[in-house]
Amino acid sequence: MYATKQPSLRIKQADLKCKNGCGYFGNADWDGYCSKCYRNQMEKERQKKSKQSQQGDHSKATSFSKFEEKKRQQSDKKTKYFLPVFRKTSSLKETGRPEKYIDIRQMNPDADKLLAEFISAYGEWGEAVRKDFLKCVQSFTSKIIHELDLKSVEELADIAQNYYQLYNNRLNNNAVYQSVTPEVRDKLLDFFERYSMVSLYTFLFCPPSTNDEEKDLSIQDRIRKLSWVNAHHLDCCISETSLEVRDLVYTAINDLLGMDSMKAPQEKLACVVRCCRSVVEVLQHCQGGPVSADEFLPALIFIVLKANPARLKSNMLYVTRFCYGARLMQGEAGYYFTNLCCAVSFIENLTAESLNMPQQEFEAYMSGEVTCVSAWESALVACEGMHQLCEHLSLLKGLSERMTAVRDDTQKLKDDMHRLKEEINDKVTSVLERTPLVIQPRKTILPLTMEFLKSLPPLPDKVEGAASDEVDTAPKYYQQNITMNQMGLSNPKPKLQLDITPCVSLPSASEVKPSLSTEFLTVASPAVDKSLDSITPDDNSYLGLSKINYDIDFSDISAENSIIEDLGESRRSPTMSFTPDPFSPMGTGCTIMQSPLVPSAAEMPRAEDPPARKNDFVLPFLEEIEKEGTSEETLLDKVEETPTICLPPPIKPTEYTGFSKQGSKIPSIPCNTGDFSSLNSTPNAGSSKDTN
Amino acid sequence: MASTANGESFNFKVVLLGEGCVGKTSLVLRYVEDKFNAKHISTIQASFLNKKINLDDNRINLAIWDTAGQEKFHALGPIYYRSSNGAVLVYDITDEDSFQKVKCWVKELRKMLGVEISLVIVGNKSDLEKDRHVSLEEAKEYAEKVKALHFQTSAKQNEGVEEMFLALTQKMLDDAKKKTAQEQLLIGQNSQRTVTVVDDEVESTTRSCCGSN
Repeated sequence: MYATKQPSLRIKQADLKCKNGCGYFGNADWDGYCSKCYRNQMEKERQKKSKQSQQGDHSKATSFSKFEEKKRQQSDKKTKYFLPVFRKTSSLKETGRPEKYIDIRQMNPDADKLLAEFISAYGEWGEAVRKDFLKCVQSFTSKIIHELDLKSVEELADIAQNYYQLYNNRLNNNAVYQSVTPEVRDKLLDFFERYSMVSLYTFLFCPPSTNDEEKDLSIQDRIRKLSWVNAHHLDCCISETSLEVRDLVYTAINDLLGMDSMKAPQEKLACVVRCCRSVVEVLQHCQGGPVSADEFLPALIFIVLKANPARLKSNMLYVTRFCYGARLMQGEAGYYFTNLCCAVSFIENLTAESLNMPQQEFEAYMSGEVTCVSAWESALVACEGMHQLCEHLSLLKGLSERMTAVRDDTQKLKDDMHRLKEEINDKVTSVLERTPLVIQPRKTILPLTMEFLKSLPPLPDKVEGAASDEVDTAPKYYQQNITMNQMGLSNPKPKLQLDITPCVSLPSASEVKPSLSTEFLTVASPAVDKSLDSITPDDNSYLGLSKINYDIDFSDISAENSIIEDLGESRRSPTMSFTPDPFSPMGTGCTIMQSPLVPSAAEMPRAEDPPARKNDFVLPFLEEIEKEGTSEETLLDKVEETPTICLPPPIKPTEYTGFSKQGSKIPSIPCNTGDFSSLNSTPNAGSSKDTN
Repeated sequence: MASTANGESFNFKVVLLGEGCVGKTSLVLRYVEDKFNAKHISTIQASFLNKKINLDDNRINLAIWDTAGQEKFHALGPIYYRSSNGAVLVYDITDEDSFQKVKCWVKELRKMLGVEISLVIVGNKSDLEKDRHVSLEEAKEYAEKVKALHFQTSAKQNEGVEEMFLALTQKMLDDAKKKTAQEQLLIGQNSQRTVTVVDDEVESTTRSCCGSN
């Protein structure tokens, strides 16, 4: 800023000194004077002017003609030129001021909002703090408004800085703030600045008495002329093609543009900080590692050039004037703001040399003879379509990724299904290999069972009828048959009969689906498999088989019992259906049909196919299983993993059998007690079976 | 002005000046983060860093400002270094030009800020002793002449960095204490100053009233 009027890059000592030659440093904002000489100069002008105004109409006419020029000369404000015309006396003007003041207080909605914010944030510190704060703000704002017409902006800024300092001292020394913690004191000071500045914004931002607006326009024009400058010219490595970088650049530009919409100096400063942080991020993306000032400043210049923020100079001057100085020059905000000042200063003094290009080329660009085709420009402006294309490409990329994921998954699923199929096939074949002998006895027995059924008392008839009605019954029926066969193989015949009776009874109760299903679930659940497996390692395959079948049978029996009870008492059915649940972790919703499939079904997702199909399936499958005997090693492994789970299923059926027996004899038994008793009895029953 | 002697805590602003590529950033990163290699550094920016230190029971907050070293940004120097308490002028011992640049900075700083700023001249990259182009004697002599401290450092090998900043802080602290002592002597004047401000206002109001008439 010291070098604003100087085209060369180096500042000569003389340029920095006060024009008066007093030895102090001058400032472009003070017409090249130092602060003291500038004030003196102003005083002189003021006096001159007052003399002129006293001279009468003639001077007024000239003052109008020179309006633009004089407007800027701090001594007289616009109102002064107009007021004499409309108002006869100065006394009127005096009264006018308080009116204006009242208006500000009432008309400013932001002030109310801030007050509410203050109370919510600092209300806890008590009424005294609030009162004192508002008192200070009021005295500050009224002072400024009072002086508004009389003093230059720089003087007002001095007053503001004095007040900040005063309030800071007050915060640290006044008894009112004794209880307030230091951090909150800092915040209060910030809030003091914010509150008063938001209230005074309209008067202090880009005041008509200064040439701030003109500076805004000139820098805006300058930046527009330099629109051809790209990142390459500035030696900063902003990759223009990366989407991520572009987004960050946009956010940086937006933050910088947002500065104009803020009212308090510290809020404007916060915008600058946000912008600069984005710039740092951009650089990180482009080069990696920590960002030093060597890279940061060119990037910031680039952002400023591309953003071309509105009223840039006014904003910066407003911040420098009315932000609490001690704050402004410290910390991150101070550093970034300084960098922004540097960037603007650089842009103002930009020459061909500073862009490392020949003078001719620079001039050609500046005059618009040559237009620079920059990738950035096209990205920013020319090609909205290009931008969309990029976005769509990324979208497509994402979609294709998802597609491949889906494809992979389907492939995986396919493989899994294949594997499952193979596994099942292997199992089935292995089972077949193991127990080829079983086939014959079974076949012979099957008709036998039919005969038995026929020969049996009225119950079997019902069963048959029920079986024909229900799809579910069929598989069970078969199962039981199978078990019978096996039993026949391994055990004495009396058991066969026992088994048969339950299976006959089962179908009869077609209504009691839930109970059946639950039982089946228990059977279908992996636990059953495990139980089977668990048995197998101990005994021969035959024994195991018998046991497996046994379990299933018993469950069926229990179901029958429940059914019977239901028939007798409607209460029973729900209780029965309920009891199996704890044993079967799987949902009750599973189809009954799974039960026959049990050994393989647990692993097979297909097992859950519609029941009708299963029926078809089941019969051959079961037969196969029976023939082959128990499943082998794979199942064994699984069993060993969770031996605890294995126990329940055998238990349950046994319980149920007991129940069934009891139930058939004694229909009315409370469900709970029955359950417990069944649990207790289970081990015994299991052991007895083993012995058998 | 950044040094607000509040009890025993100070805020000092230190600017890093020097030609590009002499290792300003590495120096400050080594000091604040104790890291050299740029690749695994979590800090995203190394241009502005804070360091809190305790020295003689004084709590000191160093705000270290990195500056762009490129020649084309030289003119922006005043904006950076105004109101700073100390300056670290870095040159590369293998680069004679960078030392000449330091001399430029010293002249400018002494002219602009006088003796209020504490200077330290730093010859960085002392690990590249074999390529030395700036003799130690010459540098020390010059530093003494301009009342600056002189240090040789190696940000890469972490040699002399801590000592350099500590010495600078000590000097700034001494200066600040001297200054506050002087200010206390001038307290009477200070109060007068505020009075003059009030006077100014009164004068101006009366004058403006006349003007409007």
